[in-house]
Amino acid sequence: MKPDAATQPGGQSLSRRVYRLTQRHRHWFFIGPALLILLAVVIYPIVFSTGVSLFRVTFASTSRPFVGLQNFERMLDNDDFLQSTFNTLYYVVFSVSGSFMLGFGAALLIRRISRGRDILRLILIIPITMAPIVVGLMWNWMLDPLFGLINWFLGLLGIPGQTLLAQASTARLMVVLVDIWQWYPLVFLIIEAGMATLPRAPYESARLEGVSSWMIFRRITLPMLRPVILVALLLRTVDAFRTFDIVRVMTDGGPALTTETLSLYLYRTAFTFNKLSRAAAGSILMLLVIGLISAMMFRFLYKDIEVG
Amino acid sequence: MVVPVRERVLSYAILIAMAVLVLIPVVAGSLTAFKPQIIWISSPPVWFFEPTLENFEFVLITRQNWLHLRNSLIISIGSVVIALILGVPAAYGFARFRFRGSKGLMQWLISLRMIPPIVVGLPFYAMFLFLERATGLGLRDTHFGLILTYQTFLLPLVIWMMRGYFVELPAAMEESAMVEGYTRIGALWRVVLPVVWPGIVATALLNFIFAWNEFFLALILAGNNTSTLPMAAGTYIVRARVEWGNLFAVNLIIMMPVIVLTIFLRQQLVKGLTFGILE
Repeated sequence: MKPDAATQPGGQSLSRRVYRLTQRHRHWFFIGPALLILLAVVIYPIVFSTGVSLFRVTFASTSRPFVGLQNFERMLDNDDFLQSTFNTLYYVVFSVSGSFMLGFGAALLIRRISRGRDILRLILIIPITMAPIVVGLMWNWMLDPLFGLINWFLGLLGIPGQTLLAQASTARLMVVLVDIWQWYPLVFLIIEAGMATLPRAPYESARLEGVSSWMIFRRITLPMLRPVILVALLLRTVDAFRTFDIVRVMTDGGPALTTETLSLYLYRTAFTFNKLSRAAAGSILMLLVIGLISAMMFRFLYKDIEVG
Repeated sequence: MVVPVRERVLSYAILIAMAVLVLIPVVAGSLTAFKPQIIWISSPPVWFFEPTLENFEFVLITRQNWLHLRNSLIISIGSVVIALILGVPAAYGFARFRFRGSKGLMQWLISLRMIPPIVVGLPFYAMFLFLERATGLGLRDTHFGLILTYQTFLLPLVIWMMRGYFVELPAAMEESAMVEGYTRIGALWRVVLPVVWPGIVATALLNFIFAWNEFFLALILAGNNTSTLPMAAGTYIVRARVEWGNLFAVNLIIMMPVIVLTIFLRQQLVKGLTFGILE
């Protein structure tokens, strides 16, 4: 890219052409290295996984027969896979809606107060800064049947100690509640940042005309926040879909697989049962589903905002 | 905004209730880290006691969790440095040059945020294993191996966040420097970087948090030499007997740097968590 390359005697037109070529493609000089690494650490593993899913591969075996789509068929036939898919959808539906309502509510409320706003906001976002595994371990302690704070509190109300994480009827709900506790700040932060950018004029004229708060919310705030809401929902959905850490330390999928998520099930398939190919097939299926979900949500999003 | 008194009181009541629900487990749990062993599990909980640091001493020295702390630091800092070296120039490239497919590439980068870690973690384990068997080249249980895999989530994030900072700068800045005889690289180094420096620091710290809290890839790919702090925390849970005081000592060591960073980074937090989709 030396500017004087073009003025060197001899082969002027060639060096000029080379110069033009490098000028036209100079963005690759900046972007290229990062793209190469991303190809190596994202695309290649996915291609590798797709390949593995078509053969029968374990960590120990040396012969690797081609089996076509057999691994996918086995996976879709497997009750544990279907159970963990169902559980994952349960997490997605309840964790996303729960954290959305809490986070959205907190974002609406915090605009109505002035004194102490900063400190309250800081406290409210603590959970999202914690490692999910720390959150899970902490709530294990809170929910401990013998000396956890929750049961101590229930005891004060005259309710006997509960093993909330060991009962099939309550374990899944508990894990979802903890997930909501950790992630509602994501919605809160996104919605609050979105609301800070809203123009004031429509609000002022609506207030002058005596429009009720509820109608202002329905007719002005909600429509203008649409893209922000979609981003919050999209991120919460993909995060809930891949839940692993919290469940791993709280229940490890139990009791009786009632809290097993897809990630946990695939992890176990590969590393406990040594069925690498089948887990690879499952993870490709998972990728397809999450890709489909986010593609649909993105399409809604692109109608509203320009990305990139 | 003028808010009726009743509405404001109600807002305070609900927000304070939520704050209390956040603080109770965090504070009560953290207190346990300073309790002597005999009152770890007393119920009702003991709120007033003479704080001790013996749990921290036990986990860091007796159980050698300082090694996990060291691994966490090496891996987090190392992966952030690599992500910055690769990602900052790429972000600059995306911010300054329009080329065919640039928009599509940026959207592809966002889509990487959606990939479940198991989808890359699983093949990484197998790839490292097969690579080692075939060539003897060991990436398994090395800091570098983990640093490499962490690029799957750190690198796209760095590019997206830094692109936002570069876009905000007028292109005239480098152009006038280039008129004065700087090359583009020279202009980038001498003129642009000093201005976006705070953005780089914020990006680095935020990415540090994500690497620091990471558990899943470490669980799959780390071994005795590279096991991180979040993995050490899990070792204090043995069925039927949990060493709560020690566990919370490790938890607190994981939490403290992040909470301190968050206080300074609240503005950037949204940017990082949303991948800059909201800009």
